[in-house]
Amino acid sequence: MYELYAQTFVNGINVGALYGLAAVGLSLTFGVMKILNIAHGEFLMVGGFFAYWLFTLLGLDPFLSLPLIALALFLLGAIFYKLVFASVARFHEEVKVKNSLLVGFGLFLVFPQIARGLWTADERAITPAYSGTSFPIFGVRVAYVPLAGLIVTVVVILALHFFLTRTYFGKSVRGTSENWKAAKLMGINVDRTYMITFGLGTALAGLAGVLVALAQSVTPDVGMEWTIKALIVVVLAGIGSIGGAFFAGLILGIVEAVGAIFMGPYSVALGLVIFLLILMFRPQGLFGKG
Amino acid sequence: MARGQDASGWRFWMLEVNKIDVFHGGLQALWEVSLNVDEGEIVSLIGANGAGKSTIVETIASLLAPTSGDIRFEGVRLDREPAHKVVTLGVCLIPEERGLFPGMSVLENLELGAFTPASRKVREISFKLVYELFPVLEARKNQISGTLSGGEQQMVAIARALMSKPKLLMCDEPSQGLAPIIVKNIFEVIKRINESGVGILLVEQNVRAALGLAKRAYVIENGRVTAQGESKRLLADERVREAYLGTG
Repeated sequence: MYELYAQTFVNGINVGALYGLAAVGLSLTFGVMKILNIAHGEFLMVGGFFAYWLFTLLGLDPFLSLPLIALALFLLGAIFYKLVFASVARFHEEVKVKNSLLVGFGLFLVFPQIARGLWTADERAITPAYSGTSFPIFGVRVAYVPLAGLIVTVVVILALHFFLTRTYFGKSVRGTSENWKAAKLMGINVDRTYMITFGLGTALAGLAGVLVALAQSVTPDVGMEWTIKALIVVVLAGIGSIGGAFFAGLILGIVEAVGAIFMGPYSVALGLVIFLLILMFRPQGLFGKG
Repeated sequence: MARGQDASGWRFWMLEVNKIDVFHGGLQALWEVSLNVDEGEIVSLIGANGAGKSTIVETIASLLAPTSGDIRFEGVRLDREPAHKVVTLGVCLIPEERGLFPGMSVLENLELGAFTPASRKVREISFKLVYELFPVLEARKNQISGTLSGGEQQMVAIARALMSKPKLLMCDEPSQGLAPIIVKNIFEVIKRINESGVGILLVEQNVRAALGLAKRAYVIENGRVTAQGESKRLLADERVREAYLGTG
């Protein structure tokens, strides 16, 4: 019995790290720009397919492709910000959230179609030689790929935290999120800050996509599922809480995995139950400021 | 020489606001407002709540755009520059309700004050200056600014603006919501800042205090400049006394 629970717990952490990484980008853009990017999971899907391409066409190891994917998705995000989100960002907050939802849904309709054209509707996974290998520890098997994924997630989130709290530009991003008008008055180019923040968000989605394609698989339709996971995690963590998103991701992963022992496939609904409970009883999230 | 000169020898004010019209959505907020501020001068905008005083300074800061008229600072058209560029030219607005970054520390607020490249280079010197002006901020530099008292928050707002090395500092209602004794301190600090050579454009509802501090003032009513001149003269003006000082 111990083995089952311990193994399930470890599996939950593995999946939860992916949830955390997928959520951090969404939390960043929503926290800073008050734009809810429903297409966040679509950028994750694109990141996964790009890495799949690099792996099958060029034989590039997925972990080596991470920086390339981050850069590509940053540029893609910045371009999409300029094309469709910039006009939305000018509105005041309430209109902004509504219109960004519409724009995001539009992209959600378009991206899977394009992906089907480029990569067909088949399920794709990145399978390097070491995938599926694992080592035993305390009676639990730990697979190398998810462990490396967990390490990547922790490093990325720490790097993001460092960027936001220690660098001048990162501080200007936080300032913009707290009071964009005052940020302008201090000489911060708010529009450019928004573009870079949005690009960072999609870059983070792309990184998560690589790990998803590696640990699980991607299809053109996987985007919305990940957007919803990320949204649950963001609400659970509290908006704008970067470190909180990581821990909330772990919580969701573990709850789903352990729940599966009792509920089977229905454990997926647990995330939505958490979502509702948090909104009802602690709307600021577990790690958000009251 | 108090005023600058352009190539053709035409003398100009440091700040020239020339017949600006400004709209909020479909509603006109300002009608042909003109005003000037000279280098090192304290000028005050007085008038009732909603008269358009804040709209004027926000338009100078380029948060709003005039539909006609122009704004020049040292000869440069401010109304053609985005807000974040206006700061680099030396015009800084302390907005109504202070506009702090409430979740960030005092130190981080001040650091963002020195965001423009030129001010960032000299920020160590600026830190010394503002800590000299407000010793309490040095003691509280690691405190989250939203948890400070109202007076201390206003000090952060002023200090942060000074970090940008302005030539013209616009203060929108610095006395708002503060106890009289603290207002007195804030006004003294503004005077000291002015004595160091910074021009001040002060928006105030506290007319008596504003006219006591400023040499000149503009009276704003319903989006128009209805009176202007030396503060002493305005203080003696029957109409001003009746409308704003409650002593007919």
